[in-house]
Amino acid sequence: MIFWPAVIASGVLTYLTRSLPLAVTLPGAAPRKLRRYLDALPIAIIAALAGAGVAVPNGTPTGGAEVFGALAAAALGVWRRNLLFAVLGGVAVVAVLRAAGLRS
Amino acid sequence: MSSARAAIAEGWPLLLTSAVIGVTYGLVARQSGLTVVEASATSVIIFAGAAQFAAVDLLRGGAGVPVVALTVLLINARHLLMATALRPFLRDASLARRLGLAYILTDEAFAMGIGHFRRGHRDLTYYSVFGASLWLCWNGATILGAAFGAGIGDPQRFGIDFAITASFVAIVAIGVRHPADATVAIAAAIAAGALRLLGASAIAVVAAGAIAPLLAFAFREREP
Repeated sequence: MIFWPAVIASGVLTYLTRSLPLAVTLPGAAPRKLRRYLDALPIAIIAALAGAGVAVPNGTPTGGAEVFGALAAAALGVWRRNLLFAVLGGVAVVAVLRAAGLRS
Repeated sequence: MSSARAAIAEGWPLLLTSAVIGVTYGLVARQSGLTVVEASATSVIIFAGAAQFAAVDLLRGGAGVPVVALTVLLINARHLLMATALRPFLRDASLARRLGLAYILTDEAFAMGIGHFRRGHRDLTYYSVFGASLWLCWNGATILGAAFGAGIGDPQRFGIDFAITASFVAIVAIGVRHPADATVAIAAAIAAGALRLLGASAIAVVAAGAIAPLLAFAFREREP
């Protein structure tokens, strides 16, 4: 049975992806270009997660509801600067559009 | 409002959605032939949603240890980027604390934590409380789904499954402060979406997330 070796190997590798950059300390200050890159990194990763989730929401390409839901969440976020409000607005738009037939 | 309370007050849609997906995962794991203990062990040991679904699917298909482990590594390589981006905020924490906080690093905890830090906060409570709550939701839901999951309905109803993506969108929208941020974010979102549509799901986020920040160099450097 390969279950336990596969799960433990997967778990160890996953933990290394999470911990290595936090465990290793490099001497000296980071070069300026690297700092600029790292400054832009968080937004890029979160936006990439968002883009991937909008394009293929549940294993199949979007039928359009998620695109409008994302636009609504972004607009509400910019307007009210309130995370909860923006999330609930985006979810509501997706629910209404899916009910109207825009399913993937 | 304290950071701990804010983490729950702002994060509950994400926690709820993770629980719904966790129940689904428990159910899928059981249907793929895992016992309740095995299903629960995958959630404790790997603790990464997309990678767990992929691993269970591969195991059911008879894949070997190297294929399962390498697929999981590829899907989770994005954590390398997230942990790198978190480094400056965890600089003053002890090594033991950093290693503990690394275990609860997920897409959701990263996004919520960065959102908190970008609003000017420097405490780790918000990230810790949200990350630990997510761990509890995911692992509790896995057990529930594996033990009793056959009775659940369709999680796509009411659009609940969209709450995680909506949170990422909103965190970006609220966090963007400069034209350079907006350009990087839009490029990353489009690139990751296109890669996933083209079938490159495993590398979509890590590739788009790693390349898009280079666009920041097209803008004049801001004074720190």
